[in-house]
Amino acid sequence: MWTKTRQFVLQHNVVMLLLFLVIFFSLTTGSLFSNGQNIHNIARQISFDIPLALALTIVLIAGGIDLSVGSVLSMAAALTMGLQPYGSWFSVTVALIFGAGVGLVNGLLVTKGKIVPFIATLGSMTVVRGIMLTYTRQQPIAGSDAAFTYWGAGSLGPIPVPILIVLAICVAVHIILKYMQLGRNLYAIGGNPEAAFLAGINVFRNKVMAFVLSGLLAAISGVLIASRLNSSTVHIGLDSGLWAIAAAIIGGASLTGGKGSVLGALLGVTTLGVLVNGMNLLGVHTYYQIGIRAIILIAVVAVDALSAMNLRKKLMMQSYGNRQ
Amino acid sequence: MPQDGLGQPEFEKRGVAAALIHFMVTNPALIIPAVLMAAGAILSPVFLTTQNLLNILWTVSVLGIVAMGQTILLITGNFDMSVAYVVGLAGITAVIAQLYGAGLVASIVLGLLAGALIGLLNGAIIVLTKANAFLITLGTSILVYSINLILTQSKTWNVSVDSFLLLGRGKLFDTVYYSVIIFLLLGIVLQFMLRQTTFGRSLYIIGSNQRAGALSGIRIDRIKLATYVFCGTTAALAGLIMTARTGSTVANAGVGMDFDSLIAAVLGGTSLFGGRGGTLRTIVGVLILGVLNNLLVLLNIPYEAQQIAKGLVFLAVVWMDGLLQKR
Repeated sequence: MWTKTRQFVLQHNVVMLLLFLVIFFSLTTGSLFSNGQNIHNIARQISFDIPLALALTIVLIAGGIDLSVGSVLSMAAALTMGLQPYGSWFSVTVALIFGAGVGLVNGLLVTKGKIVPFIATLGSMTVVRGIMLTYTRQQPIAGSDAAFTYWGAGSLGPIPVPILIVLAICVAVHIILKYMQLGRNLYAIGGNPEAAFLAGINVFRNKVMAFVLSGLLAAISGVLIASRLNSSTVHIGLDSGLWAIAAAIIGGASLTGGKGSVLGALLGVTTLGVLVNGMNLLGVHTYYQIGIRAIILIAVVAVDALSAMNLRKKLMMQSYGNRQ
Repeated sequence: MPQDGLGQPEFEKRGVAAALIHFMVTNPALIIPAVLMAAGAILSPVFLTTQNLLNILWTVSVLGIVAMGQTILLITGNFDMSVAYVVGLAGITAVIAQLYGAGLVASIVLGLLAGALIGLLNGAIIVLTKANAFLITLGTSILVYSINLILTQSKTWNVSVDSFLLLGRGKLFDTVYYSVIIFLLLGIVLQFMLRQTTFGRSLYIIGSNQRAGALSGIRIDRIKLATYVFCGTTAALAGLIMTARTGSTVANAGVGMDFDSLIAAVLGGTSLFGGRGGTLRTIVGVLILGVLNNLLVLLNIPYEAQQIAKGLVFLAVVWMDGLLQKR
């Protein structure tokens, strides 16, 4: 157990980063950071980001990327609120189907349309955002079912309800990725698509499934946010997609594909959540927070690329050595 | 027969009709504006008036200048998603410099310099780490946005040097706006550079086969850096013109131009995968986008639906681009 933990910490720098942030903010903000209420707040806040990070982790594992999650999130929230007069469960179902549908389209664009994932999802991001703006007419939509807010804003004892829901989803995704054929196939496809194809894996179906899961998870996030706010506005989800990419990569996923885990995504989201919370407590101005987020995104993507480059060099040296 | 980059004419022995059909298939970009013009003339009585057409040109010229830099980058197989907020940054830099007493020339130079610096930052990160250009420039895009917010404090700032306004409102011989002339001239000069100079040709080689380019002695890193700096500078120029036009600037001036400049370039027939395209084509692409927007406005189609249309057009063109690549 101990060696396994040690190995995990060594492989995931994110643990060190998280520890550092927690200690740093505990020292600088006094008791503001490390008290029960604040931890409750952080848990609630990150529970809306976790599904997105899971979505990105799944797609990144399969060697893709999904920029449309932010738009899907906001449209799902709008549908959840807009269709609520017809029944909360009906509206949630429609929102989730919408998310999965966008995922399906993304998957088809990437596999059948042979469009590079980030270009295809950039396109669908714009289209879905346009649909959302058309549907809402750029107006906020208020909820009409007070009981529905329980899922996003309620608490079970000291624990926020949404974090419980999201942790259950984490377990499900973990099982899919580690113990089901679909998950194993996704790692294989992301690691080496050609080898996966030659090994008889149905690349088309598995890739499409990855995007469908991604769209579905984004919609879940939108439903939870709508429940939390009991309304939907056009502003939600604007930059959550990029933030989720950063969280997934911090958690060990890579733009080169084939890597990533649920636990990593959880740690990535928690790290970024602690950072945002700490910056708020320290009173860092929003403008500077936006800049700090941007620098983190750039750093994360750059470090990911550098480590991929080092790996390539190492492999090249090895194969060169073997030949001699 | 226009052939971009290193493509070889493959049908020299075919007849004129076959050549014409081939031309139309490989240049859908040239047919679309013709169809759009016809549709416009039928759908709206004011569409084909000189005033409206000049208006379209004037409206698109700012985006057109941004798209010029974007096209050069696309040819090398790179992107710049930070152009939108660089447009804002340049205007803000110039206006704030004027408040601190800078004259016409100094404020313009400072504005352009701000854009070039962001381009340098983009290029340096991408060249040094070989990271995904798309995500890195999205990152710098947000970074520049935060700089814009910090500089403007979310307020509107007015131009204080009157001669600066001429850049956006002045007309040559009282007929054509300077910005239109800059846009068209830039397209023509860059096209000449792309086709006739060693530097221009090497951009196509980097875009189509980077390894071959490196082996044949092209200094890839240096050229990539230069194209990013250039793209940042053109975005800044567009930002200065935009600021001069409205006489004021805000933090998110130019928002949406990242995506629009991509669409414009791709609509013109520049490939997202590098190695194919040209700035003259981008002029056509920008015009298509402008005519499309103008038509949607004249037909009273709401802004929200325009977003959907733009996204669908983008996906369709990229998909066709992929089909052309495979042939």
